[in-house]
Amino acid sequence: MTTLAHFQILASLLFAIGLFGAVTRRNAIIVLLSIEIMFNAANLSLVAFWRYSPHPEQLSGVMFAIFGIAISAAEAAVGLALVIVIYRYYKSIQVDEMRTLKG
Amino acid sequence: MYNFFDQLIVTLGTWLVGLVVATGNSVSKICCGQTMGDAAAHNVAAGTEIVLICVTIYGVFALCFGLATWLERKMLARIQNRYGPNRVGPFGLFQFVADGVKMLTKEDIVPARADKLVHFLAPAVALAPALLMFGFLPFGRNMAPTDLDTAVIAFFAVGAGSELALFMAGWGSRNKYSILGALRAVAQMISYEIPLVLAAVPVVMIVGSLSTTQIVAAQGADGFLDVSGWFVWTPWGFAGFVLFLIAATAESNRCPFDIPEGESEIVAGFHVEYSGFKFALFFMAEYLGMMAMAGLGVTLFLGGWHGPKLLPSWAWFMLKGFLIVCWLIWLRGTLPRLRVDQLMAFAWKAMLPFALFNIFATAVWFYLPKTTLLQSAVAWLITAALVVAAYWVVSRFVSRRAGAPRVYRYAS
Amino acid sequence: MDTAFIILSLITVGGAVWAVTLRNLMHAVLSLVLFFFGIAGFFFYLNADFVGWVQILVYVGAVAILAIFAIMLTHNLTAEDEPEFFSLRWLTGLAVAGAVGAVLWFAIKNNTAMSQVAPVGVASNVADIGRKMMTDWVVPFEVVSLLLTAALIGSIVIAMEQISHRK
Repeated sequence: MTTLAHFQILASLLFAIGLFGAVTRRNAIIVLLSIEIMFNAANLSLVAFWRYSPHPEQLSGVMFAIFGIAISAAEAAVGLALVIVIYRYYKSIQVDEMRTLKG
Repeated sequence: MYNFFDQLIVTLGTWLVGLVVATGNSVSKICCGQTMGDAAAHNVAAGTEIVLICVTIYGVFALCFGLATWLERKMLARIQNRYGPNRVGPFGLFQFVADGVKMLTKEDIVPARADKLVHFLAPAVALAPALLMFGFLPFGRNMAPTDLDTAVIAFFAVGAGSELALFMAGWGSRNKYSILGALRAVAQMISYEIPLVLAAVPVVMIVGSLSTTQIVAAQGADGFLDVSGWFVWTPWGFAGFVLFLIAATAESNRCPFDIPEGESEIVAGFHVEYSGFKFALFFMAEYLGMMAMAGLGVTLFLGGWHGPKLLPSWAWFMLKGFLIVCWLIWLRGTLPRLRVDQLMAFAWKAMLPFALFNIFATAVWFYLPKTTLLQSAVAWLITAALVVAAYWVVSRFVSRRAGAPRVYRYAS
Repeated sequence: MDTAFIILSLITVGGAVWAVTLRNLMHAVLSLVLFFFGIAGFFFYLNADFVGWVQILVYVGAVAILAIFAIMLTHNLTAEDEPEFFSLRWLTGLAVAGAVGAVLWFAIKNNTAMSQVAPVGVASNVADIGRKMMTDWVVPFEVVSLLLTAALIGSIVIAMEQISHRK
């Protein structure tokens, strides 16, 4: 039988994979997508908590997941627009080449 | 008599499921000496039902796809004052069989520098959403394949997968025309998905449910005629239907919105490098997607399977879907292709604001009293006035420059 | 554990690992789509249908497409100077991720509430979600709608400004 611990361990594994990508990769797009992986792992964890909770009629986990999806969509839109602008300016999207704060 | 024909397919299905369970029982009696347990019998019945539904839907719509290609060529020929296919079978009716045989026996060419895996997967990824979309439409009385309470959003979510397939095809081919076509296709489909969903929102608001079966049930009226409940007769329903038809044409990449595959500009867009059966799969995905969109339009606005009790319910559904497909073919035969900037301006400056105004008009309709005939008439007139005013405002002020000559930002 | 859980976890973990390690950016995004589908499958498995469909609609239909667009607009199909396997950067990333994962795993292992089995008959109904969203959750709902509008205008402004600079 699948217990809550299975879901939480899977979610933390996915979170760790996303963190690994965000720390290791140099390409700004892949860094953003790694952050999306971490978002998704968190959503999975929240929905699993809802499914196993003693008060599922409160729908808290589901609500958190829906708002999380909306926020991460906004984050992806702004982030990728920034990536495109940075590419136009630096002609590169390697994150370790963006060192200056002044544009 | 009417009920017999109306429920013919349902009865046939139930009979077949019963037959399979009975056969399973006799087989297990021979093998194990006893009949199946209740749980096993239930599983066998459910499995048989799923297989039967899939086989019926895909069989019927694959045939419809074949006939639609014939119909399209015949109708275009009629519009262009020529004969069209007329050699294979009566009126060239078996042309699609000949086409299928030709497609199957053609050489399958993969470009040398193509991304082999993506190039191979793209046709399958294109076809899967088109097939899945049929799973959410009620085809007749008691004939819904699934009854989800999220059916409308599920339909749009599944449809979103097809954009990815076009992109995989365009990118995997490693050809400049195909990648241009893919970029155009994705930009267009993302832009028109928003008016498409917003056109469906008023129906969901009025019915109060995302379930397609409940949406169809809400459009039913008692009596013989059974047409008065269709949402297309209300002002917001009519405006929504028009918006939905335009957006659905764009979503299925049909002329006048066929810039992703514009033959005269970018050869054939994302499927330049596809031949043989893979090309046939793309073709099939396009037609099945178009028919599924027509089916959703029928479900949301044209009363689904409701209609005068002269024809069975499923026949009404197919007839209305067929009419929408004919309308799309007619449009293709008569309108020229749009420019990319016109296309984008139309989506964002005309359709999006009008769809939002339409949602507002629907909210007004929802709160107006409609108990007596006079009140209904007043509500209808007020909503109609709102929709017309919205149309006037959008066409006069918001999208005024949508048809203006092109301004070259980088090229001049 | 049952079969569905194992298949879905293989899909999600495989998709996520490919997405962060593949050097071909387009392949990475396509693996990410696989991962998104796997997560949606988990939502269906957990009886949260609505969240599953929203997941497919938003992530596969919008975020993945946006990412592909960003890749196309930056002409950067293969990432040449990505860190090699087992380079210093790679090992550091592995160590950080491993440490975070280990802490989470430790917390989960030592929690007794985690070993319960799923209660039966828990399902999320769209009507209930809508009612909750308009009553208990109306403030977050409005804030998110404001945030989405701001993000929409913001990303347009970011892209527009650059065009006017060029002229």
